Amino acid sequence: MALSDPAEKKRLLERLSSIREVVFGTQDGVLTTAGVLAGLSGAVSNHRQVVLAALASTAAGALSMGAGAYLGARAEAEVLGSELARTRREAAAQPYLLQEELLGQLEKEGLTREASYRIVKLLSKAPQAFLATAEVKLYGLSPESLGNAVTDGVTMGIAFLVGALVPLLPYILMPAALGRGYAGLGAAMATTALALFAVGYFQGWLAGQGARWLSGVRFLSIAMAAAVAGYLIGLAIAPLGGIAAIAP
Amino acid sequence: MLKPGDTAPPFDLPCAIDGQMRRLTSGQIASELLVLFFYPRDFSFICPTEVVGLNRMLADFKAEQTSIVAVSIDDAETHRRWAHELGGIGFPLVADAGGTLTRAFGVFDETEGAALRATFILDRKRTIRYCVASPVNIGRSITETLRIVRALRSGRLCPADWRPGDPSQAPGPVSK
Repeated sequence: MALSDPAEKKRLLERLSSIREVVFGTQDGVLTTAGVLAGLSGAVSNHRQVVLAALASTAAGALSMGAGAYLGARAEAEVLGSELARTRREAAAQPYLLQEELLGQLEKEGLTREASYRIVKLLSKAPQAFLATAEVKLYGLSPESLGNAVTDGVTMGIAFLVGALVPLLPYILMPAALGRGYAGLGAAMATTALALFAVGYFQGWLAGQGARWLSGVRFLSIAMAAAVAGYLIGLAIAPLGGIAAIAP
Repeated sequence: MLKPGDTAPPFDLPCAIDGQMRRLTSGQIASELLVLFFYPRDFSFICPTEVVGLNRMLADFKAEQTSIVAVSIDDAETHRRWAHELGGIGFPLVADAGGTLTRAFGVFDETEGAALRATFILDRKRTIRYCVASPVNIGRSITETLRIVRALRSGRLCPADWRPGDPSQAPGPVSK
């Protein structure tokens, strides 16, 4: 059996690393919007107001999640990048220390001391290879693992938007004749359940899990719990009149 | 850790010397002074700088009637391969695999499970005349060890940074 091209495999893994943003953004978009729809439907009877509030929530959520992912990735890259730079300065000043640490790590991972020594000695002849190996083995860090803040932010924002449309579209498009309030909410909840199950199933498929439906059910359970809780909270706060501010 | 004036514990342990594995007892060493050189492990990156440095200056130590014995917790076969890796070592590498001798000198680092970088210089009666220990990440100075050996052999009171030929004061001969 032919081995896959390592460069191609690396590119694939880099693309898959965005799965965190895709899953998190989609799940949050679906969950948040479904929760908003459920909560507002419990508190406000005007369909148009509910839709406007949900759209505003979606826009704010997408921007917020995108900005959060961008800032988080950037902060991580800055902090870890600084740590990598410090490690490289130390390695340049005291190469023996890093050699000893890498030797100890390889030994912990099951190689004999002698084999570990020979590997580190060989690596030391190519400083870049030695540093890259030491950073990954000792600290789990590599420049590639720091990701791209812009890509992460955009991916997260788009994923949130796509996720939010899942419950929002059926709610908006539900014909008035069918009774938009509860019918729309029912349709939104049904597509939400389906989408969350699909996201969970997709994640299970990517992870190569045997029981992918379990992953889907897990997403679905969390979503339903959040939606029900949101609806109940909406019902509870409706008498307080706090939602009246968006009423005509 | 034992200190100057303490009697050094005797030993009878396997060792590697001249590419062979033998047994070495402290009683077999008849030199005027004995440098007992504890180091953490074979196949490491700081220890060889010390061991090779000692080997490079072995003739200088011999000229001072001083033997060198290095000790670590590695076994004799590992010592033999390590010495071969370093291009041959002209003094015995003693295998204190259980750490008994290292503990007897009080230089066993329980956290690392290995010896500290510790040097003891013993006189003919095998009384400790000098000792020093340094952190694992700092290699010892071989020229400093040789300077101490020469100072001890001078039998005189040697001021700071004394070198052979520098002024010194009587008395205090090394017990022989």
